[in-house]
Amino acid sequence: MISYSIITTWQGWLSGSSILLYAVAIVLYAIAILILTSVFAYLFGWVERKIIAKIQHRHGPTYVGKYGIFQNLADLVKLLSKEHVTPDNSDPLLLSLGPVLLLAVITFMVLLLPFSPTLQATNLGLGLLLVFVLVAFLPLILFISGFATGNKFADISAQRSVLMLISYEIPLIVVVAAVALLSGSYSISGIVSAQASSHWYLLLMPIGFIVFFIVMLAEMERPPFDLREADSELIAGWLTDYSGPYYALALFIDYTRIFLASLLIALLFLGGWSGPVLPGIAWLLIKAFVIALFAIVVRATTVRMRIDRIMRLGWLWLLPLALINLILVYILFVV
Amino acid sequence: MSTRINIGPVHPSTHGVLHLAVDIEGDTIKDVEPHIGFLHRGVEKLVETRMYMQSPPYMEKLDYVAPMSYDEAYVAAVEAALGVEVKERAQYVRVIELELQRIASHLFFLGALCNDMGQMFTMFMWVFEDRDRVLDLLQEATGQRMFYVNMRLGGVTMDLPPDFTDNCIAFLDHLDKRITEYEKYLEKNPVFIERTKGVGILSAEDAKALGVTGPTLRASGVPYDVRSAKPYYVYGKLGFNAVKLEKGDNFARYRVRILEMRESSRLVREALSKIPDGDALGAPIRLIGPAAKNRVVTVSRELPRGECMMYMVSDPQRPYRLSIRSPCFINLYALPHMARGQRLADLFSIMGSLDLVMACVDR
Repeated sequence: MISYSIITTWQGWLSGSSILLYAVAIVLYAIAILILTSVFAYLFGWVERKIIAKIQHRHGPTYVGKYGIFQNLADLVKLLSKEHVTPDNSDPLLLSLGPVLLLAVITFMVLLLPFSPTLQATNLGLGLLLVFVLVAFLPLILFISGFATGNKFADISAQRSVLMLISYEIPLIVVVAAVALLSGSYSISGIVSAQASSHWYLLLMPIGFIVFFIVMLAEMERPPFDLREADSELIAGWLTDYSGPYYALALFIDYTRIFLASLLIALLFLGGWSGPVLPGIAWLLIKAFVIALFAIVVRATTVRMRIDRIMRLGWLWLLPLALINLILVYILFVV
Repeated sequence: MSTRINIGPVHPSTHGVLHLAVDIEGDTIKDVEPHIGFLHRGVEKLVETRMYMQSPPYMEKLDYVAPMSYDEAYVAAVEAALGVEVKERAQYVRVIELELQRIASHLFFLGALCNDMGQMFTMFMWVFEDRDRVLDLLQEATGQRMFYVNMRLGGVTMDLPPDFTDNCIAFLDHLDKRITEYEKYLEKNPVFIERTKGVGILSAEDAKALGVTGPTLRASGVPYDVRSAKPYYVYGKLGFNAVKLEKGDNFARYRVRILEMRESSRLVREALSKIPDGDALGAPIRLIGPAAKNRVVTVSRELPRGECMMYMVSDPQRPYRLSIRSPCFINLYALPHMARGQRLADLFSIMGSLDLVMACVDR
């Protein structure tokens, strides 16, 4: 079931195949993926600032580097140089574990995703399920770190993250089930190759795409679903009592999450790495970036939703739409 | 079991330094208790130690979003006490400037409301572009952009400059277009609609009982506006109509401000076309005021946030006592009434729809 495709590619270059070589290859690949994620997240952070500034008729960062490209780096350095304050009634271990766990889980998920037929750590037969099990973990980690700070605003934020989890996790899984049903595969590379042989799933199931996109916005705490860190009522939600390096990490994780979400959308609905001329990974990253740009425009222009309205949206709109999508896919393409 | 959370005085969306002790049960608000006084500067007492015309700069700091309105209300009280008649042209100039100030204040409200509902400052930046053009106009007319201090006994410090009419009409044309754009942008946004319609309802009876005034009152279906109820200056001649909406929810309060901006725009055009020639300049500041004719005066003015009353007992040189009925203070105490039973997130949109300025609340 499990075939280490990247290892098999590299076996050609490196003679011999010890378990040590596997381990080294996997670690190197993981580091490469972490760097790729960081670069994408960093660039996305800069582009987001610039585009939101454009929408608001401002210039955005201009002074640090050409077009302010090093502004986020400067912010990062500033935050890293600040003291990490641990509130008295917090749980220091869980407090610091929250962002670290979050980054670990996100990087692990990106590690599971294929970037091209040859560029993937492993082609898991049930990779799709594993990824979405891990996606459901993210709000739980936020829940834990929200309670760990011992701040009332963070508590409310933690409660909200569970409420949001129960309102959109089911539509998400139903849409993913439709994707699996259509492609006949639980492996993400299998889904991409199934799209290459027919059409992008964006065209085959537009309803499913819309539901998936909305759920991904909610999952990644993008506005209008950014209730967990709703600044107008909860100050910064679960991040209220974070400071210094952990706050920097948490802000950075915001951008890695959008990378993960846009990669998932590109792989499941936009044909993944398929595209002419350019290499596969370039196509995948371009598609992911276009989706991320769309999320920026949504962020700049909408007001925030309310928690009861999100539950209503999840149960009364997204779940029926996802089920209709599943039934349509079954009737039109499977039967 | 209810939880008490303390919001403010340092909080991203309390419009300054307001402390709200909020009892919530789950996500539902049980009670809200506003704690005020963080910005109290004792202006009413301070005025007693100053000559009449030394006080307008203090008055302007009471409402830093619409400073000129407060200045004018105070100067009007002094004029009433001293029995000074305002020149015909100066009345027009004041009305034009006050209505421009109202437009600037209501634009600010739009941006602040969207911010309180969690938007990324987009509306705020857009309205600030327009507000900047109002400030340009007021700068032409008064020489200042923020604290104008342009009211003098019987008139103003500067007459309108020669090209003011053209610039002003050009701006108002631009503004009318922009308001239509904002309406389209906000009222076609389902999230905005569901965050505002039916949220924070204040019935007409409650609004009257609580003493709420201004756009908040008019959104609850009471067409009370000082400009039409007790017309001052040339509002009577300009054919002013008070805006009124029935629902009393956040959406109505937003809508009233949009309609008032249109009405103000119309008023300014009307005033610009009817403005007579002549002298508009007021008397120079004399530190020793003339003897007061009326010892006790009460002057009522429609500020962008509601009705402001200046109750003044005057001595020959300085006010013996000044009491300010602040619209924000009284509107703030309608907040607990409106917020009970609403969601926590709505507390801030309701507060945003009241358009509070904490300096005005605390005085």
